[in-house]
Amino acid sequence: MNKFKRFLKTVPMKLYIILAAIIVFSFFSNDFGLVDIQKTAIILAAGIDRTDEGFHLTAQIAVPKGAERNSCGTASVDIEGDGKTVSDCITQIYSKTGWVPKLIFCDLILIGEDTAKDSDIFDGLDFFLRNEYMQDSCLIATCEGSAKDMLTTVSAIDDTTSQAIEKIFSDASQKSGTTVKNTLKDFAIGYYGRSKSSYMPFVRSMEQDCGSESGGGSGSSASGSGGGSESGGSSKGETAKKIYFANETALYREGKMVALLSPEETFAYSLLKGNVFAGSMTAEEDGKPITLSILSDDGKISLDVKNKPKVTLSLKTKVRMFNRGVPAPIRDVSEGQISPAVEQDATARLTDYLKRLWQTCKSSGCDLFQLGRNLYRSSPKKYAEWKDSLLDSADLEIKLKLEKVK
Amino acid sequence: MNKIAPRQLYFFLACIAPLGKLVLLPTQLAYYAENDLLFPALVNFLLQAGVVFLIMLLSRSNKTFYDLLVYTFGRIAAKILICIFALFLFFSGLRPILEQKLYVQSIFYDTLPSVVAFSSFFLFSAYLCAKPVSVLGRTWDILAPLAIVGLVGIFVFAIPNADFGALAPVGAMGANGFLRGTAYTMSWFYDTAILLMLMGRFEYKKGMAWKSAVFYLIGALAILLFLAVFYGVYDGIAVRQIFSFAKIGKYNSGVTVLGRIDYLFIFAITLGLAFYCALPLQLGVTCLVHAFGADHQKPALFSVAINFIVLILSIALDYQFGIINQTVNETVFYLFPVFCLLVPLFALLLRRKPREQI
Repeated sequence: MNKFKRFLKTVPMKLYIILAAIIVFSFFSNDFGLVDIQKTAIILAAGIDRTDEGFHLTAQIAVPKGAERNSCGTASVDIEGDGKTVSDCITQIYSKTGWVPKLIFCDLILIGEDTAKDSDIFDGLDFFLRNEYMQDSCLIATCEGSAKDMLTTVSAIDDTTSQAIEKIFSDASQKSGTTVKNTLKDFAIGYYGRSKSSYMPFVRSMEQDCGSESGGGSGSSASGSGGGSESGGSSKGETAKKIYFANETALYREGKMVALLSPEETFAYSLLKGNVFAGSMTAEEDGKPITLSILSDDGKISLDVKNKPKVTLSLKTKVRMFNRGVPAPIRDVSEGQISPAVEQDATARLTDYLKRLWQTCKSSGCDLFQLGRNLYRSSPKKYAEWKDSLLDSADLEIKLKLEKVK
Repeated sequence: MNKIAPRQLYFFLACIAPLGKLVLLPTQLAYYAENDLLFPALVNFLLQAGVVFLIMLLSRSNKTFYDLLVYTFGRIAAKILICIFALFLFFSGLRPILEQKLYVQSIFYDTLPSVVAFSSFFLFSAYLCAKPVSVLGRTWDILAPLAIVGLVGIFVFAIPNADFGALAPVGAMGANGFLRGTAYTMSWFYDTAILLMLMGRFEYKKGMAWKSAVFYLIGALAILLFLAVFYGVYDGIAVRQIFSFAKIGKYNSGVTVLGRIDYLFIFAITLGLAFYCALPLQLGVTCLVHAFGADHQKPALFSVAINFIVLILSIALDYQFGIINQTVNETVFYLFPVFCLLVPLFALLLRRKPREQI
């Protein structure tokens, strides 16, 4: 009896502890799942274009798939808003649709080419950098034409354009060296850093003939301000389907797009970053094409300011014969030898790519290699001396080593 | 009465005390000292470690801080002084709670939560504050491994993305940046005030003084490493990155495959943080119990009253955090060296035995 009384006495405290534990744990977990899909606009991507009055924002918003849709992937609608600032555009989207814009899943910010070339684009990116509910690890890219036009195209490979674009920034494409990607965070670090320079991949689209209604994506149409266009399973056969690629790179100086790296220069930059582990490059032997696969690469950029600034671009790569563009004897296929002529040609090509890359950076004023930042870190005095003329006055040295692997 | 074991105290100094420095301190250090953020933090940690050593020497008498005040000034004056110390503890506990509130709302809620969403914390805090200080030992036994796992996990995720070159050039911000960084972030270093209130709650054993200082410095080392990683990841935009420990791991390439698995470590640290934030309130209540006694459920009443007041403040000051933070950091920061450095030093001069025994 006494035991039972003692037990009863402790019940309120035990209940209290359990209650507190439940509340604290559920509280620390999330927002209790109170995200109503019917009232919330889950923004997958945002496109920014400049207008006379301010900005035009195209938000690609995920929507639940209807029963009539028969393809896989994510269905989406494109909602647009105008305003003096990006937050004005978001507010307009909110007021016109009644959907609460939710940016936590926004994985891509697309900047229109004209907007990027016009002036410092951080007046548009400011909103995304400040927003605590936005992931600064989201991808950032510049696109040909306007961001609105790009986001409202119909992808041939995915129901949602932004997700098709994100696919071209996969790890596999990074390893091939054909594309470089950048995030909002890293772009901002470059922008606010000593070099005031950064880069974004440059996205282009290309029409793709998919035949009759095969494949994933379908149906989208242009839309007016505040309106929407829908992509999903419902088909509109007359709309051209697109595929996307980003083998060029937009260079930025003080937030403004100042140059565009060609595919070769982009490849050279990827090599310098040491990103390429499964890439390939084509050289020539007696005027016939030969593709070499790049198995590994080690790139390095160094700056010497003892007397006159000197930039050294060092590259070490391991290459293997990938294939010949002409029929070859079986012994050649078996041996996979890279001849000295091929090696020489590949070296000459890579040297040329690196020189062109340097020239583009120099002529545009974009400190892509963050030389100013590195100089400041090693010597603020030297930085003060050279910061305005570093790119113009620096000499270039290229150290290239191709290692042949059988 | 159960006493805190030396092991448990070391756990607190090495694992729990550093947690409070993870939330906003890195951003504030970056704001005042930019890439030199390690040095102000190092100075504050060394000052605290020195005072930890002295407090531990003082605790050889196995008397509480209140006992020493009574022996020296008499009962009435001691009650007044311990009430002033309680006020300081409540004050020093307010900002971390507001900090924690904003952190939880920002990190765990992906849409803006209601103003009262954090209120459930006070149920937990009220319960904890009503308990005697001796329960802390067992709590630290549980929280220390969680804190270690949390910190190690975050380091594993974040270090591969850190560019430690961002910390160069050393001394770029000059003496001004260093002094501002040191003075204006002192409000995060009140561990010695906590330790002062823990005196007499553990049995002093030989060597505890230097061991405690060393364990505190081990925790400090973890925070210094975190600060280096933090600046390495965010570089020039570090000043914008609040609640960084909850974000710093997401840039790891593994996250794209595994999802935000780093949340496991963030949760572990958050749990420890909840106890750390409630600690000044709990010790403040202990001060009030010293002053007014423990009869008639007074500890529970004090606990409910204090937590209710802080709850109201946390709601009322919801949109004033920026002002409060700036005021605590830049206007009344001197309170912290007074109560956390000078008061413990002054405590060395207090009588360690009752007058009649001398």
